Amino acid sequence: MPIDFSLTEEQRQLQALARRFAKEVILPVAQEYDEKEEVPWPVIEKLHEVGLLNAIIPEEYGGMGLKMLDEVIVGEELAYACMGIYTIPMASDLGITPVLLAGNEEQKRRFLKPLTEKPALAAFALSEPGNGSDAAALKTRAVRQGDYYILNGTKMWISNGGEAEWVVVFATLNPELRHKGVVALVVEKGTPGFRAVKIHGKMGQRASGTYELIFEDVKVPVQNRLGEEGEGFKIAMNTLNKTRIPVAAGSVGVARRALDEAKKYAKEREAFGQPIANFQAIQFKLADMMIGIETARMYTYYAAWLADQGLPHAHASAIAKAYASEIAFEAANQAIQIHGGYGYVREFPVEKLLRDVKLNQIYEGTNEIQRLIIARHLLAE
Amino acid sequence: MKFVAVIRQVPDGESRLRIQGDRVDLSGATLILDQMDEYGVEEALRLKEKHGGEAIVVGFGPERTEEAIRTALAMGMDRGIHVVYEGYADPVTVAEALAPILKEESPTLILTGGQQADWDSQALGGALAEALGVPVVAWTTALELEGETARAKHDLDEGAEWVRVRLPAVFTTQQGLNEPRYPTLPGIMKAKKKEIKKVAFQGASRVEILQESIQEKTRLQKILDGKDPVAAAEELVRLLHEEAKVI
Amino acid sequence: MILVVLDHDGNKLRKASLEALTRARKLSEALGEGVAGVLLAEGQAPVEEARGYVETLYVAELGPYTAEKWAAGILEAAKKAGVKAIVAPSSRQSRTYMGRVAYALRAGLLEDTLESWVEGGEVYATRYAYLNRVTQKVKTAPPVVLTVKPNTTPLAEPLGQAGQVVALPIPPVPTVEVLERVQEEKKGVSLTEADVVVTGGRGMGGPEAFKQVEELAALLGGAVGATRAVVDAGWRPYSEQVGQTGKTVQPSLYIALGVSGAVQHLAGMNKSKYIVAVNKDPEAPIFKHADYGIVGDVHQVLPALIEAVKKLKD
Repeated sequence: MPIDFSLTEEQRQLQALARRFAKEVILPVAQEYDEKEEVPWPVIEKLHEVGLLNAIIPEEYGGMGLKMLDEVIVGEELAYACMGIYTIPMASDLGITPVLLAGNEEQKRRFLKPLTEKPALAAFALSEPGNGSDAAALKTRAVRQGDYYILNGTKMWISNGGEAEWVVVFATLNPELRHKGVVALVVEKGTPGFRAVKIHGKMGQRASGTYELIFEDVKVPVQNRLGEEGEGFKIAMNTLNKTRIPVAAGSVGVARRALDEAKKYAKEREAFGQPIANFQAIQFKLADMMIGIETARMYTYYAAWLADQGLPHAHASAIAKAYASEIAFEAANQAIQIHGGYGYVREFPVEKLLRDVKLNQIYEGTNEIQRLIIARHLLAE
Repeated sequence: MKFVAVIRQVPDGESRLRIQGDRVDLSGATLILDQMDEYGVEEALRLKEKHGGEAIVVGFGPERTEEAIRTALAMGMDRGIHVVYEGYADPVTVAEALAPILKEESPTLILTGGQQADWDSQALGGALAEALGVPVVAWTTALELEGETARAKHDLDEGAEWVRVRLPAVFTTQQGLNEPRYPTLPGIMKAKKKEIKKVAFQGASRVEILQESIQEKTRLQKILDGKDPVAAAEELVRLLHEEAKVI
Repeated sequence: MILVVLDHDGNKLRKASLEALTRARKLSEALGEGVAGVLLAEGQAPVEEARGYVETLYVAELGPYTAEKWAAGILEAAKKAGVKAIVAPSSRQSRTYMGRVAYALRAGLLEDTLESWVEGGEVYATRYAYLNRVTQKVKTAPPVVLTVKPNTTPLAEPLGQAGQVVALPIPPVPTVEVLERVQEEKKGVSLTEADVVVTGGRGMGGPEAFKQVEELAALLGGAVGATRAVVDAGWRPYSEQVGQTGKTVQPSLYIALGVSGAVQHLAGMNKSKYIVAVNKDPEAPIFKHADYGIVGDVHQVLPALIEAVKKLKD
């Protein structure tokens, strides 16, 4: 009887903790941070206090050693309350993952331990103003000079970029080599020549700080290189293969929120003498939302399971990420529709869901790139 | 020193309750450690942190109560005892079930919630205290140990008072006593390895629940727009006077 | 013997005691037992008034109230003649000492009951559960310990003759030492007995705004209530808190100002005859539980309400 769809007692406790945290700590402040476009440090501090921040760091480096499936359980709960706020710990995990995959013992201790000792964040910098999907065409340049790499260039759309203790930056040693020329370097906050400029006016996920990172002759010690020269691209891709899965979990959380809000409204709102929940048009919308949530969640769990088992999971995580973000966007869209005019104003929570989850279709690899990954996998057989 | 918190598992206050076959059906409800008891767990943890010793959680209820005991362990309690009993048991019966176990543990003090969120009962503290032959301080809002005695502030029907009581004693807990901590992730992981001793209770409830029904009073929900507060207020007063006839 | 605990304020019996007496008399008819009263006092007690309601009145002066002393007093009276049932008006204090009494007698405890009656020698009752959302019908065999929810039962009439007064010697019991009473300033009508309650929630913004809450309550002859948030913030005393951890009230009119309507608060007032809510958030849960309401700024609506009520009175 190998397939088991139940959670262990610990996972249920973890889910209860995350759900309670989301309700008591995130939900009351989500709208405020969204409006102000401000990073909620009190929430980050509380996340650290309860052990949910940077929890994928293994126990030997002072972390909680959470598995991908645990991350997914937590992610859905936190994103239910606010996808923007959830992106903060999620993006920190995105920065941590390359260190876990390619760092040596000394680097893991040096970079990861401090993230367990106080509320602190990491970041991952691959995209640039001129290239996102065409990752191998990155232009940020690293030039080896003795014991350092001199880093020059700009990274764009970097979550946590301005708050992180360190950022994993992907740079090229030789643009002609394309992906074979990429190196992964850990750049620490405060390194001279490195600055972060906050990007304002985002449509959604406004509590998450998104930055343009500028590197001007930044000296990065060789000890901060993860893996070998030329391995950077592989490290980045292997990272994203994993970190797409929590994004999918976040999408499921948003979709579930959209359904709950729509259901609540439909039961109270009356038209033509009865609650609109009695009308088929509304019922079909709600049913479609549920179809999306249930299937997206199950597949996200499956992708997480594959990752935890050490089995190949690149195309599974791509399916989960693309599918979950699309059903979530549609759920948020229909939730607004069900609310009618009230769905269009900020006092009601549903318009924010759409603004937030749209980004899930874009970041961590656009849904178009996800389809390329899936197709490549299909056609390779 | 030994600090015991007596807890139960109850439905979350916001859970939807359904009636099935004349009884409340909890299958759709989220079940949690009773928030009133949680103040007791938190207090036991604080006392242990301040004075040393052991903090023990004792739960009474069906098999699923174990989850609530684990939550208390995840908050930091050292070990648990689960007195297993399916169905309703009145406070006198519960006190009878717990008394021998508590007597054996011989604690410094016992904490439990002032009111239970399912049975709406306020009697367990008093019944336990009587079973153990010790005083009870109900609705405690402050507690300090002083060696052989404790000094506590608690509510009366009108006002509050400070008392001194010789230990052991029973204290019933409520909001205001402390701010319960989260069961953190490290706590959840440590709780896995903590002991929960299971004891089956063979007795029977003296009080039987024959029927439960939900009668949510349907409210009129006549809500006025307050953009013109004076007009809205006058209309409201008119409705209360002429329609509801309550003023 | 049916024993009824007569609660009082030193000078007069509380209304709820007369409700308990009605219930006790009903049980006594059905079970074929007489009714005796227990009057326990810290100091002064309305003995003359109380003896007009029962054939036998047990009295004891016990000094400062403690649950142990009160339980001991009741058990001493219960010893006097094999007791089948003990009835008391429900209050936080009585529900604690009656817990002790019930255990001592290994009795069936029926708490905070709405109605009670006898069938086939067993005592039945109805009561609320699940934070006042569910009505339960329960039963137990004697001996029974029963507390009576205030405002559920008609008040008993005096018997027309004075009963016998018996002084109870109470043996000392291990109990708490009362150090200091923090008597809260009694502002007007008692919350649990009031027919109108005006509650301020966090939406009031601060303690100064409660002056107007008090004014409205006074105009309507009612009591002031507060939510958990307000009491936590220190704006009002705990004794005014309405809710699961505070008092449960059942007035004819409950006015909730700047109250969001959390389930724990609703538990304390959802059986009110009429509920009125004022809140600036149209989505506030309280509106689903209100008969009348105004969506608006409570700081503007409240003064307008005060004026409107004044006008009505004239």
